[in-house]
Amino acid sequence: MPIDVKELSYSYNPGTALEKRALQNISVSINRGEFVLIGGDTGSGKSTLIRHFNGLLRPICGHVTVGGMQAHEKHVKAKVGIVFQFPQDQLFGRTVYEDVAFGPSNFGIRGEELEERVAEALELVGIREELYNVPPFSLSGGEMRLVAIAGVLSMRPDHLVMDEPLAGLDPGNKHSLLRILKELHSQGISVIIVSHRISDLLPLADKVIWMEDGRISFEGRPQDFIDSGHSLPPAITSLMKDLRQRGIDVRDDIFTIEDAFNEICRVKREKMVHRQ
Amino acid sequence: MRSLFFTYIPGSSPLHILDPRTKIVAVMIASIVIFRSSSLTGIMCIGTVLLILFLISGVSYRVALASVRPMMVFLAIIFLMQLFMTGENAIFKLSGFKATWEGLHTGTLLITRFVYLLLFASLLTATTAPSMLTVGIERLLRPLPLRKTGISSFDLATMMSLSIHFVPLLHEKFEHLMDAQVSRGLDLKHDPFRTVHSLSVPMIRTALRSSEEVAFAMESRCYQGISRTSLFDPAIQKKDFLALSSFIALMWLILLLA
Repeated sequence: MPIDVKELSYSYNPGTALEKRALQNISVSINRGEFVLIGGDTGSGKSTLIRHFNGLLRPICGHVTVGGMQAHEKHVKAKVGIVFQFPQDQLFGRTVYEDVAFGPSNFGIRGEELEERVAEALELVGIREELYNVPPFSLSGGEMRLVAIAGVLSMRPDHLVMDEPLAGLDPGNKHSLLRILKELHSQGISVIIVSHRISDLLPLADKVIWMEDGRISFEGRPQDFIDSGHSLPPAITSLMKDLRQRGIDVRDDIFTIEDAFNEICRVKREKMVHRQ
Repeated sequence: MRSLFFTYIPGSSPLHILDPRTKIVAVMIASIVIFRSSSLTGIMCIGTVLLILFLISGVSYRVALASVRPMMVFLAIIFLMQLFMTGENAIFKLSGFKATWEGLHTGTLLITRFVYLLLFASLLTATTAPSMLTVGIERLLRPLPLRKTGISSFDLATMMSLSIHFVPLLHEKFEHLMDAQVSRGLDLKHDPFRTVHSLSVPMIRTALRSSEEVAFAMESRCYQGISRTSLFDPAIQKKDFLALSSFIALMWLILLLA
């Protein structure tokens, strides 16, 4: 079930002095199983774009379909799960369980299947079973965010959209969130991450979309994105580029510290062999 | 994604440049007149004044709509109560309840008054920067002997302006929250219980937390409620006297004639 956006334009407060063009002629398609990063500065239209994926906003021009269905049909909201910025603010249930069950029960899922889905979602984000029946507000901030994410996952979406998921997370929580994202991606769910700082996520991505002033200014592979110079490359990539400029023959299409380490070791080994 | 609900719309119209005190006093007078006038002619006259003021201010009609829209449900309830609960001369009957001409009259009058109040208030907030509003309130309250009751006019003014600040802020948070819950399949129209539950609980939490944050932020910048000076120093000018006296005269006339 791909998300298909065709020639989408959108303005806030159309027809008034406060009219603000947020999106202009956007066409993009996201297939099931893809890991997509949508980047851009604040106000570039990223958040407006994702609000069209499940029909929260309706296009003024163009159309958005999900697996052939119009995006504003109710069923689409279960297929495209959106985790908004600071999702812990949306919790309301008396218990963690009740809150996570909210999504699927809105789509008429009851009984055993509901239990199964809630347990599956909570297990995936790593919330222990003894926390199922505590009020969500008694958890820590990081755990509350995980519960909120589980609240979207329990709808079993084909596409998971997350708006600034790493904002305000400490390194430990960040690491576990990245692990969850990898796990979801490996299950064949497409993961769409919206952020103004995407360098941390580049190693995971299949595709990068960069937005400027409501238009797509780049769409392609992470490697090409770094070469295009739209945003600063990850620190480790800059380091490799630097080394290369100083005449050390390392590859510079590297995003992670482990890869960099291996690459430097390889070059070093080759040098040793060369000397002998 | 700015909401128009009681927000300041920057501009340079004659209403924008008036002293905040002039506008606050004018709104107070207008509210009194709105509740004193009981005839349809009076109400219509005030409506005309309101329309002219909106035209002068150059504020979009959408601002007016945005300030009334959230109150629609309450207004409808008030109207129906009046329609069915007062008077004798029935227009039609509905399973034991009867709608009356008197009810129609008082109901219409009552909701028109409410709408006028909302519109005057939105005109005030749309043409006055929040900081100016605070200064205006503070200066108006200064002569009152509030010190003896333990709060200063500065405290009151700060509280008022903070509440005014909070309205658009909470409105924006509410819209974000609604997006999140609708994305989780909440059906706003068909499931009122779930809607109220899933929106009110996080909203109360957010409101309490935001106000706490503001309190901390103010305290950490050494806020104190006594004798604060102000960045903007409003001065009453000739045009304020002119505007206010003609407004009072107009309202007096409406009250006398209609």
